[in-house]
Amino acid sequence: MSFITIEKVSKEYATTRALNGVDCTIGSGEWVNIMGPSGSGKSTLLNILGGLDRPTEGIVTINSTDINRLSEDELARFRRETIGFVFQQSHLIPYLDATENVMLAQYFHSIPDRGEAEEALKRVGLGHRLRHRPAELSGGEQQRVGIARALINNPNLLLADEPTGNLDRSNTRNILELLKELHAQEKFTVVVVTHDPFVSQWARRVISMEDGRIIRDEPVRS
Amino acid sequence: MLFNILKRSFLNQKRAMAVMIVSVAVGTAIAASLLALSFDISSKVSRELRSFGANIVVQPRITGLAGVSGQKRYLREADIPKAKTIFWRHNILGVAPLLVVRDEKQNAQVLGTWYLRTIALPGEKKGFDTGASTVMPWWSIEGKWPAGDSEILAGIGIAEKKNLKIGDRVAVGGRQLRISGVLNAGGREDDMFVGELATVQLLYGLPGRISQVAVSALTTPMDDFAYKDPATMSRKEYEKWYCTGYVTSIAKQLEEVFAGSVARPIWPVAEAEGNVLSRLELLIILLTAVSLLAAALGISTTMIMSLLKRTEEVALMKGLGANTLQTVTVFLSEALLIGLAGGAVGYLLSLGISSYLGYQVFGTALEQKGMLLPISIGVSEVISVLGAYLPIRRALRIKPAIVLKGGQ
Repeated sequence: MSFITIEKVSKEYATTRALNGVDCTIGSGEWVNIMGPSGSGKSTLLNILGGLDRPTEGIVTINSTDINRLSEDELARFRRETIGFVFQQSHLIPYLDATENVMLAQYFHSIPDRGEAEEALKRVGLGHRLRHRPAELSGGEQQRVGIARALINNPNLLLADEPTGNLDRSNTRNILELLKELHAQEKFTVVVVTHDPFVSQWARRVISMEDGRIIRDEPVRS
Repeated sequence: MLFNILKRSFLNQKRAMAVMIVSVAVGTAIAASLLALSFDISSKVSRELRSFGANIVVQPRITGLAGVSGQKRYLREADIPKAKTIFWRHNILGVAPLLVVRDEKQNAQVLGTWYLRTIALPGEKKGFDTGASTVMPWWSIEGKWPAGDSEILAGIGIAEKKNLKIGDRVAVGGRQLRISGVLNAGGREDDMFVGELATVQLLYGLPGRISQVAVSALTTPMDDFAYKDPATMSRKEYEKWYCTGYVTSIAKQLEEVFAGSVARPIWPVAEAEGNVLSRLELLIILLTAVSLLAAALGISTTMIMSLLKRTEEVALMKGLGANTLQTVTVFLSEALLIGLAGGAVGYLLSLGISSYLGYQVFGTALEQKGMLLPISIGVSEVISVLGAYLPIRRALRIKPAIVLKGGQ
């Protein structure tokens, strides 16, 4: 049974149609990359999967829950219990240190645990940067904090929107290796939005989008 | 964690937080000072208004045949100190006994009173200074108040009519008395001879008797309840009425201590005082409301500015799964902390402001009531929460999908 089912999903804004009848399924534990040029609708689709936006039409079912039927607060709860986000910009709170930024996700989920947060940071290779604030970390390190924060509550689904968009090739490789390692250990489902063909090599499946439609959906040859 | 978020948020935005705390502190200080003024203004202004004279008159109760036959009735001079034994005794600021008799030979009335007398009060070391000089402070005497029983004042009207001057002798009550001064009272006393009460009592054979007592009392402004007839009140209502300093309840208590008396408010004076006090209180309430509103607007503006800088932070919180309550909790806690700090600072400021106001307006400090501290904190929390309302509403409307992608 599919972990994610997207049925005839469309999204219209005032003057544009960002998604146009998208159908797709993603299995549990899959790593899928969504590729496409700017304006193709890939980020809109990711936001809808993450419950940060709602479709104009269609049904999105994640882990047997029709997320469009949830109220705002139910959606928030679903988000914190099921989904981890990694953004292009790490979006760390500037006045909290690395550990506290990870604990923030724990706080909204349940009870903050400094030990767990520090352990998560050690797993992403930041055991020596626990008390550093975002401004004292490199771009790659900030993104690692973002990954630790996204995974601290053991989500079933990791959504990443251009997670390496602001990184150089070396850091991009490091981050993707880290994600690959964590994915292999935790078996969560990964959906990564990117326009970088280099990133797509890490996925098992790539969905290509254009003008709000899926134009190609194919496995990646390793 | 919430504490950590709040602590770091405060430290990270020291200037914005300082501006908000100052806004709340100023608003609270003004509101608390006005409140201190309103607590004290009734007694202070009422005291000032007492310069307009007595507001209660106690007269002999004339009933039955005495009323029909026009018999004279008197009160007892000995009852006067009892006015300072009633429930509202501390509100009695002045008492002046008045004995008015008609002198047929002079075809004029003669008034006997105390000009300034210190009466001993039971159980108190300090006596009570009272008399016409405190109840009728506008009396102006050219010359001096009669010393002893051989002198008398002539009212300015009768002095002109009879061409009397200071030092002249005049036959009053069958005795030749020296005119020690001329009284300008601006009232019916101007057409009377006015002397010490004991002298007039002696001259007319009325020892220990008085016609009426003029009382000057601090009162609470009359409200609808105060006008209710005590005879129709329930026991509870009567107790409330009796223990409130209405001019009517004080008059009732005076009536109880003067044997055979009836005490009536002098309504034009009492009502004018009530109107002035009510309007002053309304003015203070309006000023307080305006100052609270201004402070709330101040904090709201600063909080919105702060929120604009923290849009990404709010979007992230929502992205991480913060629900409405959790988002509101963060901002409301900030507002409550700002309120607490602003309230404490505002209270301290209000001590200075109210003291300054008291000295400038009344020449004396306002009474500092202990309840002002919790009220100040409460007021500042209200200001902060009101001020935070719009920013919080705005925060709840933030679309994380747009903000986290780099838009606003």
